[in-house]
Amino acid sequence: MTTEEKNFFTTLEKESLICGRCGSCRSSCPVYQVLGWESASPRGKISIAREIFAKGNKGALTDDFVQRVAQCTLCGACANACSTCIDTRSLWLEMRKRIAQQGKGPKSYEAIRNNLIAKKNISTFSNEDRLEWTQDLDDEPEGLELKAGAEVCYFVGCVSSFFPQSAQIPLATTQLLMESGVDFTTMGGEEWCCGFPLLSTGFAGDAREFTRHNVSKIKELGIHTLIASCASCYHVWKHECGSELDGYNLEVLHTTEYLARLVKEGRFVLNELDEVVTYHDPCDLGRNSGVYDAPREIIRSIPGVEFVELDHNRADSLCCGGGGNLQSVDAELAAEITRLRVKEIKETGATIVVSACQQCEQMLGAALRKEGLPVRVMDISELILEAIG
Amino acid sequence: MGEKIMEAEVLKLIKEKFGKRATDSKFECALYTRDLAPVPAILVDPMFKTMPDLVVRPENSEEVSEILRLANDRGIPVTPRAGASTVYFDTVPAKGGIVMDLNLIKGIVGLDETKMTVTVKAGTTWGELEHCLRPRGLAPLAVPSSAPAASLGGWFCMMGYGIGSLKYGSMLSQVREIEVVLPNGDIRRVTADTDPPLTWFASSEGTLGIVTLLEVGIRRERAMKHFLLHSREFDETAKVLAEIKDADVTPYNLHFTDEPCVKEMHKQGFSPDNIDAGCLLAVDFDGTEEELNKAQEMISDLVARNGKVSLLPEAAADREWEERYKLLRLKRGGPSELGGEVWLPINELAGYLSDIRKLAARYHIDMCSYGHVVTPERVCVMTMFFADETKTFAYILNLSLVKKIQDVGYRHGGYPYGVGLWNTPYLNRIFPVPQLAGMRDWKKTLDPRGIMNPGKLYKWPLMLNPFNFSIGMNLMAVLRLFVGGGARG
Repeated sequence: MTTEEKNFFTTLEKESLICGRCGSCRSSCPVYQVLGWESASPRGKISIAREIFAKGNKGALTDDFVQRVAQCTLCGACANACSTCIDTRSLWLEMRKRIAQQGKGPKSYEAIRNNLIAKKNISTFSNEDRLEWTQDLDDEPEGLELKAGAEVCYFVGCVSSFFPQSAQIPLATTQLLMESGVDFTTMGGEEWCCGFPLLSTGFAGDAREFTRHNVSKIKELGIHTLIASCASCYHVWKHECGSELDGYNLEVLHTTEYLARLVKEGRFVLNELDEVVTYHDPCDLGRNSGVYDAPREIIRSIPGVEFVELDHNRADSLCCGGGGNLQSVDAELAAEITRLRVKEIKETGATIVVSACQQCEQMLGAALRKEGLPVRVMDISELILEAIG
Repeated sequence: MGEKIMEAEVLKLIKEKFGKRATDSKFECALYTRDLAPVPAILVDPMFKTMPDLVVRPENSEEVSEILRLANDRGIPVTPRAGASTVYFDTVPAKGGIVMDLNLIKGIVGLDETKMTVTVKAGTTWGELEHCLRPRGLAPLAVPSSAPAASLGGWFCMMGYGIGSLKYGSMLSQVREIEVVLPNGDIRRVTADTDPPLTWFASSEGTLGIVTLLEVGIRRERAMKHFLLHSREFDETAKVLAEIKDADVTPYNLHFTDEPCVKEMHKQGFSPDNIDAGCLLAVDFDGTEEELNKAQEMISDLVARNGKVSLLPEAAADREWEERYKLLRLKRGGPSELGGEVWLPINELAGYLSDIRKLAARYHIDMCSYGHVVTPERVCVMTMFFADETKTFAYILNLSLVKKIQDVGYRHGGYPYGVGLWNTPYLNRIFPVPQLAGMRDWKKTLDPRGIMNPGKLYKWPLMLNPFNFSIGMNLMAVLRLFVGGGARG
């Protein structure tokens, strides 16, 4: 897209014809960097899409093509690089939607959908157990669940709610909100998946039901500030709920933005940390939502911390490999992409890599452990918590 | 028949040896049958075999050598391909065979800040080189306007003029040494003084061997200052352009945009400072503070003296520079675009654009032109118009206008920039007869079996011989006059 961030997206048919096949997208695409074949490059996929959708060559919608469309992290790096200003992220989502409509999507996508419809979350647990992680809080704050009129609603997200390896994020976030005296609540068992897994597997209609439900609950509670610690949940609330939120005043913030605000207001006493810290921009928070400064401001505000940027950062950041439901169709490719990022982390000499997305943190943590590197992976909330002691 | 069997055996051997880095899958190979130009199959298929029999991705010079040796023994055509960011089918097979995808031959091998050179593997893109040099305060001397996609090897094998060439010269002048794998598999180091010399390989469009490594000049990255000048008439722009290119401080980049182009940019929502008419001249300087101050004074003085030229806000000039690699965004008005890139004497630019306006009026179509001043004498102009490749008949008729654009260029002393396959009918316009004969001799010397990128550069295929081509295109142009043919009409 242009520096003015104007979105020119029209239709899949038109955009696939507009693609100039210049190849500017190739070197920024993590999937192409790993696989190396033209069919794995954004321009290659769009060339085939042009045949299928713009020129009506339905025979070109092969299993090979479906696999290539699924082999994408939706990181948006290609959109950033596109010389014809195509919002390729919207293009991939539209392709997945069309493929799903024809019943030709990957089987794993169908499984994700069925589970979500049944459970309202991406795990196999009951949605009523969303606040299980609070068992680890020393003191459970009052009004943690469904408090009407709370100043802030914390949208926890499925992964942080149900997966123990990510529980540190809501725990740290909650502790920070309590520490700073914020009047907050959560949606508890009324929080449904944000809908991103459905959007990204091509089931946009189903996703709409989820966003409608979540928005209606927020309205019922009279909430006017919502914070999310998951970059993808944040992206959905920020960019996909426009029609549901029309006319309703809701400030949507990522926790990095909200916590940066609290740091600026002096609501925390940050002690010295003798660490070299680098920051990995989650695609849905950085490139796809434009939030770059808040997490950096927080890191820089901690005394003693030496902040170093990764080779590719901000809008040029490399994906962690965990986006776009790639793991469900090609876990090996996702891990290969993570290795590219880990190589950059290693080069910084950082002792801590901070991010702001549980998926990125999980991918990077697993890869760093596998390589035996002495680098801690932390969410931005955990870093602040460590700094306030 | 025996030869064919042996050819199949060699392809099988390469496929087995390279494993996951070789494929003959139709799904994959089909993507190697085109570059940027969406030429309809109805025109291409009867003349050429663009579908490769095998695509292979070597990782180093030794592997390139091994493939070439095997291909040369059996006379199998080999088409090198990296960024594939041209429109002339330079990287598309004309006779099937092997496509060598060179994108794995990538990375910086050495940096010498004393000599101010960097040694780079040929599949590295210019964008990647810029990214690697920037943290060290260094930058390439000049880059193509397709820098995020074009490879160093690719640009060297084309004419190699682009952003920065006005100040720092062509790609050839930046190259100190290359490593090239000859069609017989020999790996050679080539400089200006070796036999064969560098000049043989520059602009050879992948027909003499495969360049795998280049040592190129670099510069210290210095502060920049960007200006964007606006004038109502192109005559004014041309005058200013001539004055600026000959000024004491040479611009790093000098790029013009004509009025139809400005109008189209405005229509599409990305014209700088919301300008909706007139012409633009982007002037970018790099240098010391003193040099930049001098440039500022020169531009201010020029604007003060010329009431018909105004200076747009600095933010607009900065944004134009930031988006210098997004010239193709104009294509959003298409969906397809056709056009001609013309290597034109600067003093003919205003006359050329005037005749292009007449051509556009005659065929009732909007033609947009923009370009870079790449030497003190030459400008590389892109004149384009919108088309729609889904309407095959109209699209084919529109192709005749590409020749009309080149004809206008020729009348003004210009010729196509690059040859490949589609510009072979213009060979006699591009090269003087002795030069073309000399180039053919080089080809015979280095590639006697004619395996390297056959069908490109040296002679036109039968169907594209200048006589047939001219008659065919002119007839289509006449037909187009009667039936129309634009995507918008």
